[in-house]
Amino acid sequence: MDAYIDGDEAAFRALFERYGPILLRLTRRHLRNDELAEEIVQQTFFRLHGARNDFRRGSKLRPWVMTIAMNLVREHWRRSKRRKMTSLEVDTRAAPEADFMPLELRQRSELLHVALEKLPASQREVVELHWFQERPYAEVAQIVGTSEGAVRVRAHRAYTTLKQLLVSEIRGDE
Amino acid sequence: MTNGTNRPEDGLGERLRELDGPDSPQNGELMDRMFADMKARCDKNDRTMTGFLRSRSTMVRRLIVLAVFSALAIAGWFAFPVVGDQARTVQWTASLVTFCVLLVVAMFMVTRPVHLPALPRWQSMCLACIAVGATVLAAFWPYPAALAATHDHAGGAMVGACMGAGLLLGVPVYGLLRLVDRGNAFGSLVAASAAGLAGNFVLKAHCSVPGTSHELLGHASVALVFVLGLGLVHRWIPSK
Repeated sequence: MDAYIDGDEAAFRALFERYGPILLRLTRRHLRNDELAEEIVQQTFFRLHGARNDFRRGSKLRPWVMTIAMNLVREHWRRSKRRKMTSLEVDTRAAPEADFMPLELRQRSELLHVALEKLPASQREVVELHWFQERPYAEVAQIVGTSEGAVRVRAHRAYTTLKQLLVSEIRGDE
Repeated sequence: MTNGTNRPEDGLGERLRELDGPDSPQNGELMDRMFADMKARCDKNDRTMTGFLRSRSTMVRRLIVLAVFSALAIAGWFAFPVVGDQARTVQWTASLVTFCVLLVVAMFMVTRPVHLPALPRWQSMCLACIAVGATVLAAFWPYPAALAATHDHAGGAMVGACMGAGLLLGVPVYGLLRLVDRGNAFGSLVAASAAGLAGNFVLKAHCSVPGTSHELLGHASVALVFVLGLGLVHRWIPSK
């Protein structure tokens, strides 16, 4: 990031190659719409480019890009809620990994997506960052803008709810 | 169910892991295309005035806005007659200070860095309500009625003039705040509130037409028009 702030164009490319795929997975899981996920990833880097002069040298970049992306995802949900977009409309779009995932796994994945979608947005983003992105609670708290304690509570509630929603299936697996 | 980090490590953990799935084979090409699109957008934006202002650091953006506000306030204060000494009451001063404080709060909200979690929308809504509320409240502390006889302005005619002037004065404030806004949610509503406050600040400082009805219709309406007008426009115009 320091090289990029100094005007090194190749460094921007390197940052995109490093964080782009991570963000793409994150946004695909949240939005379940490839086109929209790509747009949000691009918009994240667009905003990062605009905000580069705010970056303090030596600090971590990952929380930065994650926060920008999560803000954009939240803004998208707010707008789509306003437009009364139905969940069906989202589901009918191309689901991620659909083309190259075995049918059984795709069905299981679909059930899990449905369970995740039943979580409140505040809990879902904590699961996303804590579980999928493997971020520590302190960093998740920084990204979502709340206390570490609140994040722990959200995560606990989310995992409990998910487990309840999927309990029959998990038992089936055993 | 969970280990020391509270991450589920039983059946649920395995199920969550499945969602990660394998990477698409076309991911490399996709990333190239996305980077090229995004880079072109960045380059295009860098060449614009908006892009230049928005890419300044938060500190610089805030200083720019404060400098412009201060310059306008100082120029306006000395260029146009301020209300007479008798009208400079404690309430009048309190109104001006309140408008200033709210204006600065709005400026801080609009220039909030994008790498911080977005402000909850109730805060923007609150600011808009407080801004309109403050202008309405200030209308109940009008230019002292005892001085009414010294003015022969027709209050009704002046309502339109004050409202027009207030709206005109608010436009540059709105424009400037939108120029430095990096895309905060509800940034338009906050900027509209600031524009209404700026208009009211100038009107309160310079308008010597007495009466609550005049201030309600000619002054407070400026804030209301900005907030409702731009708020609704922002709501109706579909974003990208």
